[in-house]
Amino acid sequence: MELFTPDFGLIFWMFVAFAILFFVLYKWGWPAILKGVESRADLIDKGVEYAQNAKEQLDHAREQADAALAEARKQQADMLRDADRMKTQIIEEAKEAAKKEAAKVMDAAKLSIEQERKEAEKQFRNEVSAFALDIATKVVKGEMADKAQQKKLVDSLLDDMEKQN
Amino acid sequence: MPMLKGAIHKLATFIVIAVAMICPAVASASSEGESKINPKEIIFEHLGDGYGWEVPFNHHVRIPLPIIVWGQDGLHCFMSSKVDHGKSYTQGNATFLISPKDGEYPGKLVEIVDGKEYRPWDFSITKNVCALFIAVILVIWSVLAVARWHKTMGHKAPRKFVGAMESLITFVYDGVIKPTLGAKAPKFAPYLLTVFLFILFMNLLGLIVVFPGGANLTGNIAVTLVLALITFFITNFMGTKHYWKEILWPDVPLWLKFPIPIMPLIEIFGVFTKPAALTVRLFANMMGGHMIVIVLTLLIFIFGAMGAAVAGATTVVSVCFSVFMLLIDVLVSFIQAYVFTMLSTLFISFGQEDGHHEPHKPAPQSTKN
Repeated sequence: MELFTPDFGLIFWMFVAFAILFFVLYKWGWPAILKGVESRADLIDKGVEYAQNAKEQLDHAREQADAALAEARKQQADMLRDADRMKTQIIEEAKEAAKKEAAKVMDAAKLSIEQERKEAEKQFRNEVSAFALDIATKVVKGEMADKAQQKKLVDSLLDDMEKQN
Repeated sequence: MPMLKGAIHKLATFIVIAVAMICPAVASASSEGESKINPKEIIFEHLGDGYGWEVPFNHHVRIPLPIIVWGQDGLHCFMSSKVDHGKSYTQGNATFLISPKDGEYPGKLVEIVDGKEYRPWDFSITKNVCALFIAVILVIWSVLAVARWHKTMGHKAPRKFVGAMESLITFVYDGVIKPTLGAKAPKFAPYLLTVFLFILFMNLLGLIVVFPGGANLTGNIAVTLVLALITFFITNFMGTKHYWKEILWPDVPLWLKFPIPIMPLIEIFGVFTKPAALTVRLFANMMGGHMIVIVLTLLIFIFGAMGAAVAGATTVVSVCFSVFMLLIDVLVSFIQAYVFTMLSTLFISFGQEDGHHEPHKPAPQSTKN
């Protein structure tokens, strides 16, 4: 059958045509395409990786920012608490110091009051003794108006002196 | 609007049927003088090669193609129009004509020497050769378009035709060549990709009915034979030591290969059946597709003899089936190109096995269609 007997001319031209086709594509076609496709795939892979990394970093940065914020809040709270504590402490200390000062002032006041009191007592005694002397003088002057009396008193005084001696 | 659409549909259907009814009647009326059609002859004329290229709607005019022959007294070149319609042509001392149907070489160019037909070395640019060149130019142009894109546009995504070509190429490269050949893929990819695109373009060109296509190229055993032979040469000449050892001294019990080398014989037989299978598979599939469409078309003329009504009905049915078959053929064109490439890859990979690791056995895909 004609269909099953390959024609010599067609086989010849088929070889020639295929050789030309293969040569042209081998030289200028396939290397450029395969390399291009490969490098583009690499580029896409790299791009995806880069994007993933960037996303990760972004997430990380957000986390870090959140952490920093939380830290700052904590510090603020700590500081506030410290300040509060310091305030109470200072007030406490001031109170203490004031108390001490007051006690000291009180002591000093007590002391001076005591002294004053002693002074006053002394003065009072002096004044009392002066009054008493005055009164005694006046009494004595009154008593001495009568001669008999005077003599009696001198006698008694003399007696006393005698007794003492 | 829907009513209008329905009316247009009805009208269109009516026109198609009317034309289908009238045409065969007119045709039979006009061709009354001609002899009865010979379906077998028409089928084989369409499936086979020719020295000119038919044009639509005219049986007498053909696009002339150059005839190049090496006759008894050297090289002769002339256009095929010189030997049209059984004319003989004399150039120098040599006389040529296309052998008649009852001749020794029906339909082939012969030289007449002493009244006897003698077949010269025929390097004519026949219809098939011309279609071959068209396919080559188209493949080169489309592949270089993709290559140019990669050189000039850098890493931009290709679109439209270039994108389609590239996805075809990567489909075969990443889907067939790389998984099968592994590290050796870049070495054989140029051949396999060329074969794939070449077969695909030839298949699809064959489905176009008018000039740039219509040649039954991949349905011609010479074309498929050459392709299969190239795969055969690559497989065996680039085969590894392990591959030859597996053929000549396979891992089977000694009695299977020692006094009578049963297994080696089978293996050697297998070496030659592989390209034969490649040849016949592609050839038979594509030729079958063309043949079915032609037969369906011829049915119109065969039944045309039975009267206008029968002819009209046959026309509608035949045209519907032809369109359906052509659509199937588009699919088959792709599948056959793919299968040829896949099997070539598989055969080449058999030749590339080295005995270091257990030879992996890819599941034999029995895509017979």
